[in-house]
Amino acid sequence: MKKSRASKGTILIISLYLVMPLLLTFLYSIFTEWNEVLPNGLTLKYYKEILLDKYFLTSVLRTMLISAIPFILCTSVVLLALYVIIVYHPGWDKYMQMLCNIPYALQGIILAISVLSLYVGAPYPLSNRFVMVVLTYCIVILPYIYRGLKNSLDTVNAKCLIEAAQMLGANRFYAFFKVIVPNILSGISIVAMLSISIVFGDFAIINIIGGSYYQTAQMYLYKKLFSSGQASSVIIVVMFGLTLILSGIVNILNKKKVRNRED
Amino acid sequence: MKLKSRRYLIAILPFLLLVLFYELIPILMIVIRSFQPEGHIGFTFDNYISIFTKRLYQQAVVNSIFVSVISSVIGIIIAFFGAKATNEATSRWRSFFINILNMTSNFAGIPLAFAFIILLGNTGILVLLGKEAGISALADFNVYSVNGLLLTYIYFQIPLAILLIIPTFDGLRREWKEAVLLLGGSPLIYWTRVAIPTIMPSLLATLSVLFSNAVAAYATAYALLANNYSLLPIRISEQFVGDIVQRKEFGSALAVVLMLTMVFATLINNYFVKKSRGGAAR
Repeated sequence: MKKSRASKGTILIISLYLVMPLLLTFLYSIFTEWNEVLPNGLTLKYYKEILLDKYFLTSVLRTMLISAIPFILCTSVVLLALYVIIVYHPGWDKYMQMLCNIPYALQGIILAISVLSLYVGAPYPLSNRFVMVVLTYCIVILPYIYRGLKNSLDTVNAKCLIEAAQMLGANRFYAFFKVIVPNILSGISIVAMLSISIVFGDFAIINIIGGSYYQTAQMYLYKKLFSSGQASSVIIVVMFGLTLILSGIVNILNKKKVRNRED
Repeated sequence: MKLKSRRYLIAILPFLLLVLFYELIPILMIVIRSFQPEGHIGFTFDNYISIFTKRLYQQAVVNSIFVSVISSVIGIIIAFFGAKATNEATSRWRSFFINILNMTSNFAGIPLAFAFIILLGNTGILVLLGKEAGISALADFNVYSVNGLLLTYIYFQIPLAILLIIPTFDGLRREWKEAVLLLGGSPLIYWTRVAIPTIMPSLLATLSVLFSNAVAAYATAYALLANNYSLLPIRISEQFVGDIVQRKEFGSALAVVLMLTMVFATLINNYFVKKSRGGAAR
């Protein structure tokens, strides 16, 4: 009994430390001023201001665009590669795994400056900032996409399914993309949410490569940080809300997947 | 005929191109460029020599390692108790806590810096409370300093660390504890002789993840300190973008130093993991 009280205490103290900054940011966003111990003037006017701000909305749209494109690109590229590996060369998987795990160790900042310094003076499509950011994000999310897709393909036993489809007369490529891929859609959507939320929270890469060329919500937030506290807190609450929705969807999908497997 | 039968290899080409041009070549170029003199081709150690002789950059290396080590060690200690509590708690408390951890692990970078500024900045709520209550530790706290930076780093280490070590705690068997108590040992002996040696390898592995996570962290420090405190990631990015003169070769050397600190941390960690495994086997 004493022990369970101690563990509850520990959980409460750590939770308090973790939740306090979040809660405070939220409270900050709904009061007009907070110059004394207690805030006063409950208001939603900052929400109205920000949510009607054209610049904020376009920056959120830009963020969504730059999160979605790398996901689509990277998933297609990894699926094509996994097709070759699963169907023809299972032995190559260890090399692919190695290549896909390098970005874990690289961290955003090193990748960003490496790509920027290599391509900044290169010919047109390569030196385009949007292209650079998109392809760098592809590398950042590569480990998560590889692991997610590989796990899903292993669970549905892709190789057997392809052989079965082949016996029924389908060619392998057709079998992979028309039979296997629809079967791992739930796995793909989990990977989608995960990788989009990673890009959503990025500031290092977009600030170093994108700079003033491409304004995302994070960049917008950084600019507002020094002008208005309330506006910043509203932006944070809105963006954090979006991230929570994404990770909430991941959780629901994961639970559904586990339940399906148990059936 | 042979050519045709290998046509499927086209499918792997996009992957190879992506990895080659945006992962392998860029990193290789950074390493090569770090040995080049500024502005022309050649071979030199000058960039590295100036990192370790100029005070500003020496300081950046020392500060980065200091902040990362301290925040990782404090993070892992808190995580140890957090994961232990999670392991002992009822399932309702457990899922409550894991939800909190999942949620707050998303709270990082600039939002995190902002939250700590309104909490502990010049007119932060805790500072005001401290003034009101006469607690000088709170009233005089300076968030735009190493202490503030450490608080934010510890903040983002905790959820990550706890989530990483909870599974290890779940691997500790109840029977082991019962056996120790049955043989006349105390709970303290159980923890120091059985439990901690068992989970040590995974604690150390987590520690090295935390270190890499902290040493390359950029956004929080950028928003909180800007130029008040010299840190490697900030100094690196300055050499490639921004207002001061760009020095790609020197910046590349700084980036290689950053990568090396991570490699060293992993090597040191592996050494201790091996040692702790050996100890447990004996």
